[in-house]
Amino acid sequence: MKRILVVLLGVLAFDASAQEEPITPAEEVDNCMGCHGLSDLEMKLGTGEIFSLRVNREAYGKSSHHKLGCTDCHADLKGVEGEHAKKPLASKREFAVAYSESCKRCHFSNYTETLDSVHHARIAGGKLDGAVCSDCHGAHDVTPAAEPRSRISRTCAKCHRGISEAYAKSVHGQALAATENEDVPTCTDCHHSHDIADPRTGAWRLKTPELCGGCHANPKLMAKYKLSPEVLQTYLADFHGVTVQLQKGEKGANPVVALCTDCHGVHDIARTKGEGSKVIQANLLGTCQKCHAGAKADFPAAWMSHYQPSFEKAPLVYAIKLAYSFFIPFMIGGLALQLILHLWRLAVNR
Amino acid sequence: MSAPIVPIPGVKTAWLTRFSTRQRAEHFVAMSLFILLIVTGMPQKFPSARLSVIAVHAFGGIQAARFIHRTCGLLFTIAVAVHLAVAIFQVLTRRVRLFSMVPDRKDFTDAVTTLRYYIGLTKKQASFDRYDFRQKFEYWGMVMGSLIMVLSGLVLLFPLAVTWLLPGQLIPAAKMLHTSEGLLATLVIIVWHLYNAHLNPDVFPFDSSIFTGKISLERMHKEHPLELARKEKAPPAP
Repeated sequence: MKRILVVLLGVLAFDASAQEEPITPAEEVDNCMGCHGLSDLEMKLGTGEIFSLRVNREAYGKSSHHKLGCTDCHADLKGVEGEHAKKPLASKREFAVAYSESCKRCHFSNYTETLDSVHHARIAGGKLDGAVCSDCHGAHDVTPAAEPRSRISRTCAKCHRGISEAYAKSVHGQALAATENEDVPTCTDCHHSHDIADPRTGAWRLKTPELCGGCHANPKLMAKYKLSPEVLQTYLADFHGVTVQLQKGEKGANPVVALCTDCHGVHDIARTKGEGSKVIQANLLGTCQKCHAGAKADFPAAWMSHYQPSFEKAPLVYAIKLAYSFFIPFMIGGLALQLILHLWRLAVNR
Repeated sequence: MSAPIVPIPGVKTAWLTRFSTRQRAEHFVAMSLFILLIVTGMPQKFPSARLSVIAVHAFGGIQAARFIHRTCGLLFTIAVAVHLAVAIFQVLTRRVRLFSMVPDRKDFTDAVTTLRYYIGLTKKQASFDRYDFRQKFEYWGMVMGSLIMVLSGLVLLFPLAVTWLLPGQLIPAAKMLHTSEGLLATLVIIVWHLYNAHLNPDVFPFDSSIFTGKISLERMHKEHPLELARKEKAPPAP
């Protein structure tokens, strides 16, 4: 037994001495920067593009990855000493798309989420302009994407310019720019950051009330801004909301009724009060007419404006509700009582 | 003049005609439409219930369910209109006795007597004519309920036209009225009609008279003795 142990230790010792001391990540970066720190290191691609191969060392030093070595991402070059072979790159874009694979090693869950995204679907369909990791996060200069919070919409704006401009003018966008407030939704709160779904589908549209309700039905959060937390509940109780609830899960369903965004706007959501609002009394008829072509002056009053029926807001609706809340139990209770008495009499007579 | 009818033990039950073909057809139409209206309507009153979503999917989606609901509603409207028109015509031409369906003083005292009998305050049982107080109550409940459902349903079917002339609040008011009255009607049918026509030990499992039009002499004696007595006195109707 003792002998075996000695042999085993000897083998282990031999193994360790045979391996070279591995270089530290910092040393590796130094090595690579010997060439890639040069400003004129570039490559002409097949497409005619000039691809600069320089890495900004200062930006890398400040990035979240500054403790990593180059081959942690460029894993294909691990163990290569001195100058490495030229890589056969078709285009800058193809290179960026191909290299998003290298993020997978560490950021596996985020990577797999992107596979469900509309961005990935575009790339899978052969259109390489769908965003990949480095388009939003940067490559060598990667830093936390949500710091500051207002950075998120600026990132999306790189491609989605018009939408970003509309958002910046909206009640949400203005509040975020002014205060960096955590409560205010930015792009990723509704669309998510990695598993970004296609917002043009019926399934996405059906999710809208849930999405807005995530904040607007939260009493604590709404109290902070003096907003009503009943907007979701009152919507769901109305004709439009009933339809949406019953369409959920229907195959290929595309809601034909108004959702939150159809009246309030999508990215350009304005305050409900004030001249720009699509939903104040003065502008409401026009908003209704977008779907209800023949609507005339009193049609908007058919919509209870997110109010529960009350004596002040809708006396007739309230009166009917109140009457039946007494009438139904009275009637059914009375009939049930009569029925029970009848059964009791039959039992007694037997 | 027919001879007094007395059920003889061991002899086959004698059957009398209680409902005309038109009445049986009306009941069948009302029952079918009522069931379809409930199963397509209740999910719209309780959209967050799991069962509602299942029911709506079974009909092929909310659009299809609404189409069925509205079609049945319009057919029901026609059925109600036809029933009322025929009833008014028959009363005016004296083909039916006006008071056979109209509640009167006797119905009130019958109800009190019946309740007293149930709780054991009296041994006396009320005897009934063609329709007892429960049947009259259910009939008029049905007529009033139908009128409410038809009118509020039409408001909900044509909200744009209604608000050309009338205040917009009528639309949510009609919705509240329609869904509340619908719930009441459904509960009355489940609690009351299902008991009287099926679960009541006197008729269990099934009172078939509204489908076959026939009622046994035995039941006539027990449930409508006054009508039986009247018929025995008068010559049979042509």
